Amino acid sequence: MGSKTTGGGKGGVRVIALPADFRLGSVADVKAELIEAFDAPGSQLDGAGVERVDTAALQLLVAFRREAAARGQSPVWLGVSDVMREAAGVLGLAQVLELPAAMPA
Amino acid sequence: MSNAGLAQFQQVFIEESLEGLDTMESSLLALDEGGDGELVHTIFRAAHSIKGGAATFGFPEMSSFTHEAESLLDEVRSGKRAIDGAIIELLLRTVDCLRGMFARAQAGEPLNDAVAEGLRSELAAAMGRGVPAASVQARRTADQADAWIIRFRPHASMLAGGNEPLRLIRELAGLGELEVTASLDQLPSFGVLEPTECHLGWTIELKGPVKRADITAVFDWVEGECDLEIEAKHVVAEVAPTPVAAPAAVPAPNVADAGAARAQREASTESSSVRVSIDKIDGLINLVGELVITQSMLDTFREGDIDASRLAILEQGLAQLARHTRELQESVMGIRMLPIASVFNRFPRMVRDISQKLGKQVKLELIGEQTELDKTVLEKIGDPMVHLVRNAIDHGLETPDKRRASGKGDTGTLTLQASHRGGSIVVEVSDDGAGLNRDAIVAKAVQRGLIASGEGMSDEAVADLIFQPGFSTAAVTTDLSGRGVGMDVVRRNVGDLGGTVTIRSTQGKGSVFTITLPLTLAIIDGLTAAVGDERYIVPLVSIVESVQLKAEAVRSVAGGGELFRFRGEYLPVVRLHEAFHCENAIHAIDEGLMVVVEGDGARVGLFVDGLIGQQQAVVKSLEANYRRVQGVSGATILADGSVALIVDIAGLVRMQGRRKAA
Amino acid sequence: MAKILAVDDSASMRGMVAFTLRNAGHDVSEAENGQLALDAAKGGSFDLVLADVNMPVMDGISMVRELRTLPAYKGVPILMLTTESHTDKKMEGKAAGATGWLVKPFDPEQLLATVKRVLG
Repeated sequence: MGSKTTGGGKGGVRVIALPADFRLGSVADVKAELIEAFDAPGSQLDGAGVERVDTAALQLLVAFRREAAARGQSPVWLGVSDVMREAAGVLGLAQVLELPAAMPA
Repeated sequence: MSNAGLAQFQQVFIEESLEGLDTMESSLLALDEGGDGELVHTIFRAAHSIKGGAATFGFPEMSSFTHEAESLLDEVRSGKRAIDGAIIELLLRTVDCLRGMFARAQAGEPLNDAVAEGLRSELAAAMGRGVPAASVQARRTADQADAWIIRFRPHASMLAGGNEPLRLIRELAGLGELEVTASLDQLPSFGVLEPTECHLGWTIELKGPVKRADITAVFDWVEGECDLEIEAKHVVAEVAPTPVAAPAAVPAPNVADAGAARAQREASTESSSVRVSIDKIDGLINLVGELVITQSMLDTFREGDIDASRLAILEQGLAQLARHTRELQESVMGIRMLPIASVFNRFPRMVRDISQKLGKQVKLELIGEQTELDKTVLEKIGDPMVHLVRNAIDHGLETPDKRRASGKGDTGTLTLQASHRGGSIVVEVSDDGAGLNRDAIVAKAVQRGLIASGEGMSDEAVADLIFQPGFSTAAVTTDLSGRGVGMDVVRRNVGDLGGTVTIRSTQGKGSVFTITLPLTLAIIDGLTAAVGDERYIVPLVSIVESVQLKAEAVRSVAGGGELFRFRGEYLPVVRLHEAFHCENAIHAIDEGLMVVVEGDGARVGLFVDGLIGQQQAVVKSLEANYRRVQGVSGATILADGSVALIVDIAGLVRMQGRRKAA
Repeated sequence: MAKILAVDDSASMRGMVAFTLRNAGHDVSEAENGQLALDAAKGGSFDLVLADVNMPVMDGISMVRELRTLPAYKGVPILMLTTESHTDKKMEGKAAGATGWLVKPFDPEQLLATVKRVLG
């Protein structure tokens, strides 16, 4: 997991790569990183590398997107792994997370 | 056994069980010679292992047979049945019979024989019932529908317990087609979200011909950890003659349903239950019967005029009502009362282990095991007692050499004694060891900065120092008592139960720790104190004395506090009207009353306007109805219908300490 | 494949559990009481813990309570292997932090089904 700022300089977009094991044990760390994203003018979430995910993780993302919307930001999805997509579907959270449509295989 | 590789464990199981049977046998023999209660536990555990393994490793006959013996042992273990020669003899024959069964198992012969069958009946008879018929099962009403609405809201802490909503909903998906709607209304904003807690809820529509029991089975592990409602949407009429669309909250006839319903009712409280003897229930029913008679007697006065000739009857009726109410109260409280034996029984083994480890010889005496305590108190008294017992063996009792040197027998005696004394339960942990060493305690307390010197301190006050936070008397911290838990924690734990701990010690003769506990946590005896327009209840157990002081007896000290001298000690004054901001209260010391109270090991003077009287107060939780208030442990309703707050003495003392420190 | 810790003082029961799970491709460690299990848990990471209730030295319930105080074992499934079909015992385990239970006697199929259920 890690984040980087692209576009050069202060005004860049922050990219947050979600960890491969995105579960109860890592949500606190991810939350700390997401908080920083509010300082950037825009943020992109990269969930392509997520191999394991749980309710706590998806709940965190829901809260993050709500907060971002309240601040007039709309984080963009860079990628979403199948594991994440499936879990969000099971929990009825795919819509509120605004997951992009699955790429055709 | 479906897998050939598992056969090896069958053999291990037989060997293990034969060892277990040897242990059972020797323990039964020791028990016959008057051995301690721990033997019953050892025997129970051996029987329990055999029962559990027998069925797993393909010997169901042995399992059901052992089950009977285990049930019998369980009653002995929990103190419901006294063990006697007849039971020991029966259990010894059971051991022999099981050995025979294992021998036949190894030889590949049928396990059951006439002896086993006969013995099984005897065991069942000893339990006071016939052999249960194998095929009798509660008839369950089918409860089936072709669509269900499931409302599921985990409690915040559910995720930490390893139960994952993802898994539960996936399991439901295995039953039929799902439509899942998440509810975000309880989700806190991002900034305050504790990310390891669950604040989501779900409404799940499940389509398909599914039994309610199959749905509740999915949620069986999370009973008590979530709110759950299961509602039939379309009921299949012919299999469900019960009312249509009955929500799960209505207790249903099958076990799983009742569980789900309970999960919902007991949304946030830890679920627990009390087993009540039929005698107690019969007693209650009797009382209610009498209450009904009294009520109908009093009812005759409703029909208009009360003439003087019937006043005597009215008086009699009211007196009866008062008596029945009191008896009913006692009986209902009695339901929560359980014998302390379940706590005491932990000690024989522990004492043996610790004393062996320390090379000491200790005889443990248990007295008053049948003394009954409130279940809540019972559950929480174990840890403080464990600490006192450890402490007594570790620091109190001496090694055989030292005992001989001081003219005592090699074996020390440790006594646990429980008894009722007035409205309290008294539990004593006493030893005939070395007693407290006054000089050592004073030296340590001075070193720790707790006191300046021991001069002028009574032995009682010195002994009390060991309850101060951070105090430890052992020269070398052993791995037994020195676990960072001190006597201060014991005192605080007991204080949380509304009780007190005191110590009486004679150097060279031994120590007695006395824990005094209220009979119940639901009702306290207290004095009603007036403070301005308000009334406060001061728990009777914390009151030392109340005194009227002259104005000059109270001195102000630097930093704003006030002190007064009481029996050679200076005690801080807590003006209740200041602590709770009461209006119209008496401020002049000589016009009010100083109530000396003790809590958390310290004494303070509570300054109040006056005391109105003594009364029993039914404790209502303030937390449940309002919120936690510092210095207040609850509220009660006075006879005139007004509310009085119950003073939390320990809390006030701690507040006082903080103010002093600040 | 998951990393599983099997805790039981009975060698036969522990052996059966470990054998069955290893056959199914899991990586199984064994401990014969709660204290040894705690030590093992602190020294490694497990996806699932299966523990007996009645054990010498440290029983299963105390073990669960201790495990749950370790940050790394928050949320990790812990199942009690219990003969007590009695609710009190199950609730005691739950209150201590257990995820669920598997009632003895169980056969290898039931064990695997439950493990599959909890590991998803």
